[in-house]
This record gives sequence, C-alpha cells and structure tokens, in this order.
Amino acid sequence: MSAAPATQVNGPALDVRGLSKTYRTGLLKKRSRPALKSLDLTVERGEILGYLGPNGSGKTTTLKILMGLVFPDSGTATVLGHPLRDGRWKHRVGYLPEQPYFYDYLSAREYLDYCGRLFGMTASARRQRAERLLELVGLRRSAGVPLRRFSKGMMQRVGIAQALINDPELVFLDEPMSGLDPIGRRLVRDIILGLKKEGKTVLFSTHILSDAEALCDRVALLRGGELVRVGDLAGILGSDVSHMEILASGLAPEAVDRLAPALKASHPLGDRWRLEVGGESLGSVVKAVEGAGGRVLSIQPVRQSLEDYFLKEMGEQRAEDAWELEG
Amino acid sequence: MGTGGLARVWAVAANTFRETVRERVLYNLVFFAIIMTASGLLMGQLSVRQDEKIIKDIGLAAMELFGTLIAIFIGVGLVAKEIERRSLYPLLAKPLSREEFFLGKFAGLGFTLLVNVGLMAAGLALTLAGTGRRVDPGLLKAVYPIYLGLLVVVALALFFSTLTSSALAAVFTVGTVVAGRFSDVIRNMREVTDAPTWLVRILYYALPNFRNFDFKDRVAYGDPVPFAAIGAVTAYAVVYIAILLLAGSAAFRSRELS
Repeated sequence: MSAAPATQVNGPALDVRGLSKTYRTGLLKKRSRPALKSLDLTVERGEILGYLGPNGSGKTTTLKILMGLVFPDSGTATVLGHPLRDGRWKHRVGYLPEQPYFYDYLSAREYLDYCGRLFGMTASARRQRAERLLELVGLRRSAGVPLRRFSKGMMQRVGIAQALINDPELVFLDEPMSGLDPIGRRLVRDIILGLKKEGKTVLFSTHILSDAEALCDRVALLRGGELVRVGDLAGILGSDVSHMEILASGLAPEAVDRLAPALKASHPLGDRWRLEVGGESLGSVVKAVEGAGGRVLSIQPVRQSLEDYFLKEMGEQRAEDAWELEG
Repeated sequence: MGTGGLARVWAVAANTFRETVRERVLYNLVFFAIIMTASGLLMGQLSVRQDEKIIKDIGLAAMELFGTLIAIFIGVGLVAKEIERRSLYPLLAKPLSREEFFLGKFAGLGFTLLVNVGLMAAGLALTLAGTGRRVDPGLLKAVYPIYLGLLVVVALALFFSTLTSSALAAVFTVGTVVAGRFSDVIRNMREVTDAPTWLVRILYYALPNFRNFDFKDRVAYGDPVPFAAIGAVTAYAVVYIAILLLAGSAAFRSRELS
C-alpha cells in the first residue's frame, strides 16, 4: 500500500514527555493563554485511550502539536518509536481533526483518492480502500455527491474515512462523535471497537462521557491544560456499589415525603418514583413502600459513573460551563 | 525532495487544478476575456488600416488583465482559505510537508493559467483567422511573457496568503502588482520627491517589474523580438518566482495553525 518505514513493535504507541504550549494572543502577541502544562502521557499499543476534559482543557492543542499544526514551547514526544519531528511515523498514523471541513468541489470518493495519493498508494489500492471505507462509514450511496451538499454528520464520516485511508496503526480522533446522530454515533463506536479488534491503537478526545465509558480501556482527564488523572476505568471508578435504585409505583407524594429521611434522593417519573437509597436502608424502605400501598417494580445496584466522577473532579467548575453531558 | 515528494507535489497540484477549474469565478473571467477579445473586431472596424493591430492589442490585453485577475483572486485563497476552513489540517497529518503543499498549490494554479492562456490565445487566433487575417506565430512571443508574468503574480498571491488572511492577501497582491506595473515611475521618483535614493532603489528592485513582461506593442506592430530578450525575461521570472516561493515556504513552515 504505502511506502511505510519498517514497523517497530516495541515500546508504547505514543509517549509524551513534558509537552507545554502557551498561545500568544492580541495584536502584539502580549497576552498569553497557557493551553498545555508539562503533559506526560503514554498510550500503549492496542489500547483505546479516552482523552477527556472540558472545552479549552488542552485536548485539541495536544493533538495539533502531535500533528505538527502548532509548535510546542517545550517537551518531546515519540510516536510509534519515532521522534515527533522525524515525521516517518506519519505513514502509519491517521488523524481526524475537530469539526473537519473538506473541499466543496470534491466528492467523498475523490477526496479519499486524493488522500491515498499523499500516502503513495497505487491507483488500484486507493480505489479498493476508498470503496471499503465508504461502505464502512455508510457513505457508499453518496460517494459521488459533492461534499458541499453533505450534512455535518456526513462530513464527520468522511473525516473518519480519510483518517483510515492508510490502514493506520495509531489513530487520533478529535471529537469523533461530534455532529453525529445516534445511528452515526453507534457506527463510530463500532468502528473504534473494530480498530481495537484489529490490534490498532486509538486515542480519541471527547467530552461525551458515555462514549468514553463504553469504549475506553483507559482514560486521561485533562483540566486547564494539566493532566489530572490517567488510568483504567475500573481503577478510577472503583467496583463498589454507591447506592441502590428502587423503581416503585402507586406511591402518593405524601408517602414519599414520609420516606425522605431514609432516602438519598427521590425523582418522580410520571406515576412512578425512582428512589435512591443506601444499601443499609434498602430493606426498611422496601417495607415502607409496600406498607404505603406502593409496589416495587425493580431494585438495581448503582455504581459511580464516569459522569459522576468527573463532575466531582471538576469540583469548583460549573457543570454547564464544563461539560456537555449527554446520555 | 525524493520521488515520493514529487508525487505528493503532483497530487496537490492535480487537486488544485481540479479545484480551480471548478471555481465559478474562473468561468466568469474567461467569459469576459472572450467578450473583450471579440470586441476587438468591432474596434478594428472603426480604425482604418489599424484593424489587425487593434484586434491583437485587445486580445493580448484581455489575456493579461483577466489572467492577472484569475491569478490574484484564486491565488490568494489557495493557502489562506485552506487554513481558515481547516481543510489543511488532515492533509498535514499525512506524509505531506508544508513545502510540498505550497509548491503543489503553485504548480496547480500555474497549470490552470497555462490552460487559460492557451485557450485565450486560441480564441485570439480564431478571431484573426475567422476574419480572414493572418495568424502570426510571432504572437507567441507576447503570449509567453504574459504567462511568465502571471506566474509571478501567482507566486506573489501565494506568498501573501501564507502571511495573512485571503482578504488582506488580495489587497497586498493587487497593490504590489499595480506598483510593479509602474516601476518606471518609482525609478523616477527621486527626481520629483525628496525620497532617499537608497529607498527608491530598494523599492525599484524589490518590486516585480511587470513591464519586463510586456511585449504586446512590439508584437502587435510586427517589430522583431529577439530570443535573447525572451531568455532574459524568463531568467528574471525564474529568479523572482524562486525567491517568492522560498520566502513563502519559510513563512508557511513557521506559521502556527491554531
């Protein structure tokens, strides 16, 4: 396919040491805005790492530095065993930028062909790979339509296809679910899991925590340009049950009020109630619900979610400023 | 640059050619160029014994004017718009250096202009032949320098577009092209102003002298144009373009795409 240098199989896929970046802004570039502060990060081969953080936390800056779009003030990085500046690793890496935009005048098929040419792929390899990727991202029927007629979600799919044109070993995806409808998000989730199955390494940034929870082996949490925490989900979230959730029907609001001292929280759901209780009060609350003429529909143990964890970690930051929490 | 590098430059150039030939502005300008060339026929009929010269004059002037407009208004967007729209980002993450991208853009628009100038020259030849006049191959001695001048304009537009937005790049390029058309005025400035001689001299040599590319009158009047003059203007264009491309590449290499 491409004239890629020999693959080095040892060592991490990505190793970042002390990467820092401060943007100079204003007419005279006198104002400064630190975007990344001495980032240390390792991504092992074959893993999916979720790169998480609120808007402006440094996720996109990290990826832009790695892709050579902006230049770091200090620090080093090794990509697939090659120094960042070397550039030979680019044959083996794919990248989806945030909110990608491509050429209005090209079709998706023509654009993928153009990308393939930049990797030195032969015409037949480009054709085969492009058709396969168009099928993968669900754009085969729109492959000949000019990209100016594409919706944001379709553009995102083209972006994912171009990031995979060279069958990369390491894929960087900046907000891959952005602009996608639920079907599109599911498709991208499946693509990312498919890449892992093929032994590829994926680093994707997101602020949609449910995606990270569903896909990642490990997550790295960034806040204000600093790495707050990195680790596997089980290690971060723990396996302990934080509380139990009772779904009950036939309860009058006054009955719920009487139960309040034993509850952590209560939420009306139409004619039903969702009651959150500590494990130690479960038995007494169930009895009290039945005693008040209610009916217990289900009881579920609840673990801490990634969303809960991050909201706690973000602490002082107002949730609505920091995250777009999506289901 | 190895064969891989050349292949990538070629890929960018081919894509740029495709991009530019699909630009609506190109067709508008070519349409007006054809109208202007055809209007030479009308003007020719108004002038006794000057008709052929006028047709040639207007045809060559249309080629130069509309070629310059295409070079500026498409040229300034080639790099700047890719940065503004972020379409450049996924490309630079591939094994494509910024220099290769820059050169490819120049080559692509250069090829589009070659096709355009060729079509306009063919239109002029058809106008002459269609009205029973002689199609002089010597016309190429005016067409070729016009094309060289257009390549200089493309290099200027690309150079400015690596430094600033497409709108400002258009302003700077138009300003430089206009100043370059009046370089003789600049040379004579020291006689009419108090401007320091060194400043006038720097301006005169730094600005592209577009009069060097103007062989229109000599060709239209049938005056001889020696090949040495064509060689000299070729060398001038090559050196000027090389300097602009090197400076543009250097500026582009150090530009942050944030």
